[in-house]
Amino acid sequence: MPETRSFRLGVAGPVGTGKSSLIATVCRELAGELRLGVITNDIYTDEDARLLRSAGVLDPERIRAVETGACPHTAIRDDVTPNLIAVEDLERDFAPLDVVLVESGGDNLTATFSPALVDAQIFVLDVAGGGDVARKGGPGIARADLLIVNKTDLAPYVGVDVEQMVKDAEHARDGKPVIALSRTDPASVALLTEWVRSMAHAVRAGDHTPVDPGPMAPHSHVGEDGELITHTHAHTH
Amino acid sequence: MGNAELVAMMLADGRLPTGGHTQSGGLEPAVRAGLGADGKQLADVAAYARDRLRTTTRVEAAVAVLTRHIATSSHLSGTKLSPGDENVPKNGPRLSERAATLGPVEAAWAARTPSHVVRGVSRRQGRLLLRLARRVWPDVSAYLPNDGEIARPVVLGVVGAVTGLSAEQVARTIAYDDAQTVISASLKLLPVDPADAATWLAGLHDDIEWLVKDVAPLTRIDEIPADGAPLIDVFAHNHAIERMRLFHA
Repeated sequence: MPETRSFRLGVAGPVGTGKSSLIATVCRELAGELRLGVITNDIYTDEDARLLRSAGVLDPERIRAVETGACPHTAIRDDVTPNLIAVEDLERDFAPLDVVLVESGGDNLTATFSPALVDAQIFVLDVAGGGDVARKGGPGIARADLLIVNKTDLAPYVGVDVEQMVKDAEHARDGKPVIALSRTDPASVALLTEWVRSMAHAVRAGDHTPVDPGPMAPHSHVGEDGELITHTHAHTH
Repeated sequence: MGNAELVAMMLADGRLPTGGHTQSGGLEPAVRAGLGADGKQLADVAAYARDRLRTTTRVEAAVAVLTRHIATSSHLSGTKLSPGDENVPKNGPRLSERAATLGPVEAAWAARTPSHVVRGVSRRQGRLLLRLARRVWPDVSAYLPNDGEIARPVVLGVVGAVTGLSAEQVARTIAYDDAQTVISASLKLLPVDPADAATWLAGLHDDIEWLVKDVAPLTRIDEIPADGAPLIDVFAHNHAIERMRLFHA
């Protein structure tokens, strides 16, 4: 990897699940040891970029916003060019950066990053969105490099069983990591920062191949003979 | 090199990954300034697209035609270009010499595009197109650096030259793309029926062909028209500092 190439980490997930807040947490915890930059993909404003700048966790110059033309999905997947250029310019202007975090605009469960844009990606859900969301699956939930079940401190107020939600997520992910996160729970924050650290190390060492979570999640349906069939490949019924 | 007709279709396709989804052709700030009257005068959208075809887009199309003309001439005078080789074609002019021949046409475009905001947008979009073009049509590297903020019509003119597009095809691509950018963006900015939008676009075909007929024959830089639309520039400046926006420009 060239000296100026950073570890590019995508953060996707539905609206309001805490993507900006997670990025602010990562910056707050790791800014002392890693050189960081952030690209936000806002839908209608530069609100996310402003929130992060005002959080005071990173030099505001290192946080840049990219417009998505109301197509957050397109911006991180079908046409990543504007984002790629933003990442490369940030890497050039603040060389050398260790990690550039790319925040997706809030979208639906099928929005995932193209491996042409990021080296690894985090998909963020929250307990307030409903305990059954992890079970519903989707490419981000099933195959992102890390799944976050966020805002666990709210679970008692929204009637969600965090343990069950995490178990559902682990089941959908075939062993890939899931972290139950609350920014008020230092132990869970430590798990997140350790994951970022080790992934940054793996990417820099060339030990990590970007994955494409892809458009289709593993899903099952009942075959003609009544047998339950589970698919992981893309197909039409 | 490929079928020119198909290359023109690719360049005109909004799904080509060159950041087209971030652009509204200035429609977003125009709508904010009152165009469409909150949905009560939707025909304004087609009129706005037509105004562009008669002013700023004419300039862009002429610049692309001139770029194609210059690059095509230098292509013929040099030897066969090696795809992807940005260094020195053995018996032909060096990249720097070839690029230098395009300097005056970029300067002519800049002189006719008085708003630094509008120039900035075109150069950003040119950079996105260049980024894709050097992968898909590596011969562009004989004329253009691998990365750089270069006016979009100049980049498109070079793509046209190395893929064998005619001057008409180059001009038509610029004109159609601009009209389609405005019309498509209207679907996200105003209460527009998509079938109406397509009807507006079809209604602009004659205007597009008049533009093509006017600018395709140009072969001298001083023939590039200098039409302008000052209000579009004013809107662009407002948009550049606007916080609530869907589109980059």
